[in-house]
Amino acid sequence: MRAYELIKETFCRKLYILIVHSSWLTLYGIIWWLFNPRASEFSEFGRFIFIWGGFLLPLALSAGIFGDDISSGRICVLVTKPFWPGELYIYRLLGLSLQAAVHFILAGCIILILHALMRKGSTDNLGMWLFASWLLFNTCAALSTSLSVVIGRAYNALLLLVVIVTGYFVVSWLIFSLKQQAETGVLFSIIRFACPPFKLLYKFACGEYGKYSLTVGRFSLTKSVACVVHSLILTVVYSIVGIVLLSRRQFSCERD
Amino acid sequence: MIYKDNKNTAVVKCKQLTKVYKSLWVGRSRAVCALKNISLSVNKGQIVGLIGPNGAGKTTLLNLMAGLIFSTEGCVTVCGHPARSTKARNGLGYMPEHPSFLGRYSARAVLRYHGALLGLSRKTISLQADKSIEQLQMQEFIDRRFSDFSQGMKQRLALAVALMNNPQVLLLDEPSNGLDPVGIIQLRDVLKQLRDSGTAIVISSHRLGELEKLTSDYIFLYRGQVVSFGDKIASDQTGLLRVELVSNGSYIAEKLLSPSRVLGVSDTELEIAVNDPEDVPDIVSDLVKGGARIRSVNLQTEDIEDIFLRLYNERN
Repeated sequence: MRAYELIKETFCRKLYILIVHSSWLTLYGIIWWLFNPRASEFSEFGRFIFIWGGFLLPLALSAGIFGDDISSGRICVLVTKPFWPGELYIYRLLGLSLQAAVHFILAGCIILILHALMRKGSTDNLGMWLFASWLLFNTCAALSTSLSVVIGRAYNALLLLVVIVTGYFVVSWLIFSLKQQAETGVLFSIIRFACPPFKLLYKFACGEYGKYSLTVGRFSLTKSVACVVHSLILTVVYSIVGIVLLSRRQFSCERD
Repeated sequence: MIYKDNKNTAVVKCKQLTKVYKSLWVGRSRAVCALKNISLSVNKGQIVGLIGPNGAGKTTLLNLMAGLIFSTEGCVTVCGHPARSTKARNGLGYMPEHPSFLGRYSARAVLRYHGALLGLSRKTISLQADKSIEQLQMQEFIDRRFSDFSQGMKQRLALAVALMNNPQVLLLDEPSNGLDPVGIIQLRDVLKQLRDSGTAIVISSHRLGELEKLTSDYIFLYRGQVVSFGDKIASDQTGLLRVELVSNGSYIAEKLLSPSRVLGVSDTELEIAVNDPEDVPDIVSDLVKGGARIRSVNLQTEDIEDIFLRLYNERN
């Protein structure tokens, strides 16, 4: 009952959520219609879904998922209820994840319908791209939701975007200027395994791991499973940080 | 008695409670001490009014009791458990000063949502919701969206949410904000019923007249410290006896009354300080025996607003 109400709440929180989903889905359709990718170009379209749905969608949806409660004072009533605050976090994240699953299934349906209507183009690896996007969504949503516990309102999404874009340029510069030095290996490992798994999941969806043993078509089974497990572990780690912050945080509507 | 710890019936206990708000950015130099070394307990079936000027620490004290914030020193227990524990929250109902719920939810959906968070069954939620709707006269707006609510409707809904689990301890922050006179009377009746059924209620309010109709137990907070408890206020309480005379007021005051008790004198009126209302017949009798021809006698005692102002002025 509690789980159902909290998951349902993440769907019904705001009209804005429905608008975000609709506009994102419409955009996939428009881009596919205009771009109509052939088999050789499909990775480009997959990358668009990956970034637009896997990265930007969680930022838009998880924006202020706790921040709104904190700024409006709703959280003061929620946390005085007799249950572990972690439940609040987990069920809301689960609600977001379910939304994303429905979103990507609908995205797949829209693309397949357009593909069938236009009778040209390609839908190679569409399922893998959508699955990779969903995994990235979960990781980014966990990170954004955890930030939402400490940063009020929707500013967390903007902050996350700024931090990631800035981080991307800093890391690119570091890779470019330090690639000859042996010590950079540790830094690259941290970036690859501790930050949201853009590169690993991108390679996973592209089928770039096909050259390894135990392959299924273009996909390496062991590498693909490792990518999936890695992204799930990151989601759990980011969630634990958020749960600890939520349990230890003080909430005060106002001081008097 | 608020400050004496009755081990059998005390449901809220604060021991040596201190709360300091520190700024993360500028360190201790900007620390604000909101509460200093407060010890008190609230018993079953007792209504306690927290009064004090703005910034006195009333909301901070309520937030500590609700487990929303950590104390810097000391501890709070609710129903025998630390305030932030799940066991304490099982018996707690909390209503914030500015209640807010999801704008897209109707009042009924809000009650169902909070009932589910409390772990109640569908049937219990339905029963509790129906009881609250009737008790707080919420029939008119029960299916309306929260975003369309007036302040009074929000207050009623917030109280209904706080009562969903039949709490042993009810913490209310300015509960009568925005309520119309009928709503205030209904609120008062509900709180009296709860008190009679054994619920301990702590109310922070600036509406002293309303508080006075509910309780005689007050905690006066000033700059984070308890200045006076309810029965202390009562013992300090002074009354003003106005005696209207035919004539010779000055002569009678000089002859019959000690100067410290006389607050005002004219030829036809005396103002006399009275510590206990039961002294009035003796005073009047002495005046008559001394030759005073009395037209009327009027005793004015301090109400809670006068006491508040007196305590406040004493400290300024």
